[in-house]
Amino acid sequence: MEYVVETKKLTKKFGIEYAVADLDLKIPKGEIYGFLGPNGAGKTTTIRLLLGLMRQNTGTIKIFNKDLNSTRLEILKKVGSLVENPSYYGHLTARENLETLRKIHGAPKQRIDDVLDIVRLSDVGNKKVKGFSLGMKQRLGIAASLLNNPELLILDEPTNGLDPSGIIEIRNLIKRLPSEYGMTVLISSHLLSEIDQIATSVGVISKGKMIFQDSIEEMRMLSQQKISLKLDDNEKAWRFLSSKGVKVEPENDCLALVEQSDQEIAHVIRMLVENNFSIYRVEEEKRSLEDTFLQMTMEEKAV
Amino acid sequence: MVSLLRSEWYKLRKSKIVYILLVGPVVGLIIGIFTNIDMLPLEMNQWVGTLMMMNLTYALLFLPLITGVLAGMICKYEHDAGGWKQLLALPVTRGKVFVAKYFLLMLLILAIQVFYLVSLLGIGFAKGFTDTFPIEVVWKSILGGWVATLPLASLQLWMSMMFKSFAASFSVNVIFTLPTIVIVNSERFGPYYPWAQPFSMMYLSGDTNDIFFVPWDHLLTVVGGSFIAFFVAGFIYFQRKAV
Ligand SMILES: Nc1ncnc2c1ncn2[C@@H]1O[C@H](COP(=O)(O)OP(=O)(O)O)[C@@H](O)[C@H]1O
Ligand SMILES: [Mg+2]
Repeated sequence: MEYVVETKKLTKKFGIEYAVADLDLKIPKGEIYGFLGPNGAGKTTTIRLLLGLMRQNTGTIKIFNKDLNSTRLEILKKVGSLVENPSYYGHLTARENLETLRKIHGAPKQRIDDVLDIVRLSDVGNKKVKGFSLGMKQRLGIAASLLNNPELLILDEPTNGLDPSGIIEIRNLIKRLPSEYGMTVLISSHLLSEIDQIATSVGVISKGKMIFQDSIEEMRMLSQQKISLKLDDNEKAWRFLSSKGVKVEPENDCLALVEQSDQEIAHVIRMLVENNFSIYRVEEEKRSLEDTFLQMTMEEKAV
Repeated sequence: MVSLLRSEWYKLRKSKIVYILLVGPVVGLIIGIFTNIDMLPLEMNQWVGTLMMMNLTYALLFLPLITGVLAGMICKYEHDAGGWKQLLALPVTRGKVFVAKYFLLMLLILAIQVFYLVSLLGIGFAKGFTDTFPIEVVWKSILGGWVATLPLASLQLWMSMMFKSFAASFSVNVIFTLPTIVIVNSERFGPYYPWAQPFSMMYLSGDTNDIFFVPWDHLLTVVGGSFIAFFVAGFIYFQRKAV
């Protein structure tokens, strides 16, 4: 597998606290890598290290198969980034903000209009950024990160502060990048649902440690959802379904379905209705991020 | 490097920099206008007399204060909303960013000195000075004042990069500028005090044959030495700064 980013035992301490510990991050080319972890897990610190904004205590970073410390400039020419809260110059307009970066990248002027259009800020391009909402600043940050047509795009919690429609827009945009422009994307988030909807590859970080790293499919297997049924007579329904070969488990005042493909659920419900059971509730229980983390950490220890 | 300078200048140009550049020269202008040349000793050249009066306030107070304000401004918009992290994640080295900012700062100070010279010329023409224009004396003072800000500006740039708050670096600068009036009279400390150097070098002291109004060895050791010390310290600080 060809990795665009590969770190080995990356470690960063603040005082005696480890913000990032022995992190082996691997981002395959052309993937959208979801970097998932609760607040304070070390996502932003890792990203700062990847961009050379901070120096690690120990460990190595390779981007495009080159060492970051010795080839930083060459690497950064092909990287676009948005780190933590959006960066901007309040006294400049959106267009002028991008111009300060364009001058350094040496990108054509047309590119400013292009990226403003991509994030739908063309209308307010000539307004001072000082007066922008958080969501607009966030879009400007994304526009800035796209300015040099990067091969690797690093976005740290890019949907923070966006309204729901903005989130969907940005999500759709990010999804297009690998296929249309051949970009590899690193996107961090503290929301499982966010990563679930966008990433093709996932790394989960907790307390500075990577506790899971694999494809999104593997991740979904781990955080399976559960369908629970509530009926007039759970006991009887359980016996009935078991006799029909459906795997169910009694749980408090309901029944939990293990199989959960759409057809299977439809089949079970039809059987229940046809046999005159009254169905009060059919619920999908999503396991919370914490539960998933907990499970992952426990599995990690068991290995 | 050129593209970086262009970008820096672009950011600066769009802030309210012009007004700040004019503060010092305008103060000089006002003092010059109200200087009564008839009060000066008869044998003194009118231009020299006026410039000496102007220097007293300008070089002692306003120049060091304004170089501090400028240093603060070219860092303020980087501090305010994550500018540093965006700038330093671009394909630029920190060394170049530091040099670009310093270069721009020195260019602005040079512009101030030129405006100040223009103020003097304006006063002279308005008042109809009849004495010959002492071109050598004047350029020594103007350019000497600029050279004297080399160390001070490095120190101020370093401070402005360190303090996230513009008000903090400005206050520190005020605190160190005010005692200059006393320190400049001290034989022992005057020459070494960075805030006093612009005044010392703009001070018009008769007919020394040195290039500026201070002896060469003083210029090289004190001004040159402190410039290197502050510049290197600021440079190293910026290299290591976590953003
Ligand atoms: N500049 C800093 N100085 C000291 N501690 C820091 C600094 N930056 C981050 N930390 C600490 O490192 C840990 C990881 O933070 P961060 O990388 O921002 O997490 P995340 O982005 O995942 O929310 C936190 O405990 C945070 O308090
Ligand atoms: Mg963060």
